Amino acid sequence: MLEGNLAIIGYGLSAIGPGVGIGLIFAAYVSGVARQPEVRGVLQTIAILGFVLCEQLAIFGIALAFVFS
Amino acid sequence: MAIDNAAGVLAAAESGEGGFWESTYPVIPHPGELIVGIISFAALYFIYKKYVVPRLETMLAERQKTIEGGIERAEAMQAEAKAALEQYRAQLAEARNEAAQIRDQARAEGQQILEEMRAQAREESERIVARGAEQIAASRQQVINELRGSIGALAVDLAGRVVGESLADDARRTGTVDRFLDELDGMSGSGAVAVPEGTR
Amino acid sequence: MTTVVSAAEEFVPPSAPDFWQPLVGEGAFALTRSMVVMVLVTIGLAVVMMMVTRRLAVVPGRGQFRLEGMYGLVRNSIGRDIIGSAHFKPYIPLLFTLFTLILVNNLMGIIPPIQFPTMSRIGFPLALALGVYVVYLVAGVRRRGIVGFLKNLVPSGLPWWVVPVVFVLELVTFLITRPVTLTLRLFGNMFAGHILLLLFALGGEYFLLHGGGLLTVISIPAFLMFFLFSAFEILISFLQAYVFILLASIYIAEVYADDH
Repeated sequence: MLEGNLAIIGYGLSAIGPGVGIGLIFAAYVSGVARQPEVRGVLQTIAILGFVLCEQLAIFGIALAFVFS
Repeated sequence: MAIDNAAGVLAAAESGEGGFWESTYPVIPHPGELIVGIISFAALYFIYKKYVVPRLETMLAERQKTIEGGIERAEAMQAEAKAALEQYRAQLAEARNEAAQIRDQARAEGQQILEEMRAQAREESERIVARGAEQIAASRQQVINELRGSIGALAVDLAGRVVGESLADDARRTGTVDRFLDELDGMSGSGAVAVPEGTR
Repeated sequence: MTTVVSAAEEFVPPSAPDFWQPLVGEGAFALTRSMVVMVLVTIGLAVVMMMVTRRLAVVPGRGQFRLEGMYGLVRNSIGRDIIGSAHFKPYIPLLFTLFTLILVNNLMGIIPPIQFPTMSRIGFPLALALGVYVVYLVAGVRRRGIVGFLKNLVPSGLPWWVVPVVFVLELVTFLITRPVTLTLRLFGNMFAGHILLLLFALGGEYFLLHGGGLLTVISIPAFLMFFLFSAFEILISFLQAYVFILLASIYIAEVYADDH
């Protein structure tokens, strides 16, 4: 018998947004590097920054999931 | 042991089963861990600030200086090489100049020597000519003097003979004169030309 | 470890209480496993750093070369490029401390005899975030004074009625959101990553010992995934350390940005 918690389902839902966001960020990063390989270093920092700010939401989700479980 | 709500958390903490810190939310910081974290962070920060980073910075600065020094040295070397090349070129030009000068001088000197020799030769030849002329003049004088001495006697002799023949006939007379003249001719071969000029 | 004990009857997934591992004592000031790891890492780092930097040569050896690579990353590509070459010097010790401490502590989650990520206990990331928080607040106040600092929160040229709203939002960002996100990001990544590893390890063990029949075979991909995610954790460890000092230096750089 499966036992679970609604909070974890909530976390799964909340992870969709950051997932899409991170995908968009790295898609833009890849196409940017493909178009101008010489600015890779600058783009990398910006992409990681964006990734981090996006991921932050998912991390909030996991923390809150444990809080409400 | 799944706990459904905050009341459950507190209940578990009160009952002592596992303790509050085991069952509480993971986002609540454990004070002991927080303190240990702060202390070790501060200690490591102090060590880095005091020792590690200054040492690394000193090393990096030193390396920078070494690299810059190397570049400077290379530049100095290049400048030196350039200067040497310039000097060499200048010396070469100077030497070339000097050689040309020496050649010119030698040519001039040769010219001078040639002139001198020519002048000397001319002088010599003039001297020789002059001496010849002198000698000729001297011998002529001598001949003249000799002739002057003997011409009187000869004339007297001739006159005596002419008178001695007593003028017998014209034919005899001419014969005597001719004979006398022949005699004269025979007496001085070379001086015969000059004598008539000087005596006449 | 209650999970392992109860695994005999029924599979209990890993959860938050698995991270509470007191070694000595009980309660708020108990000596926990993560404390020991943290102290060991700190001492180890201090000793190694002191030894490597005791004799620094202009032409580096192997150990020095690696240290220099790490130092160059922190100093040049983060400190100098983000804070700016005029002001980054005083913050290098902070950034370098954060980077090495977080990196080694995160790697401790995978290195076998320890295998416990210190940062999955929120106290430690909170301690580091508090350090950054104090530094950027003090730097901001010292540069502009308290009034100037508060004034600088709001970008100029806004309509007057927006100013209070933006001010409150920015103040909340400065005082609450930034340290909290710094803490939660590091904590959440390590916590979730370790839970994932635990899940694969315990699940594989459960299938292997108690599954029976076909379920025993499932333990093989479970253990495989465990190794795969262990390798992935190395990447995450590095990325989190990098991101932490990246954000710290962005916060510090904002102090020196002349317009908002």
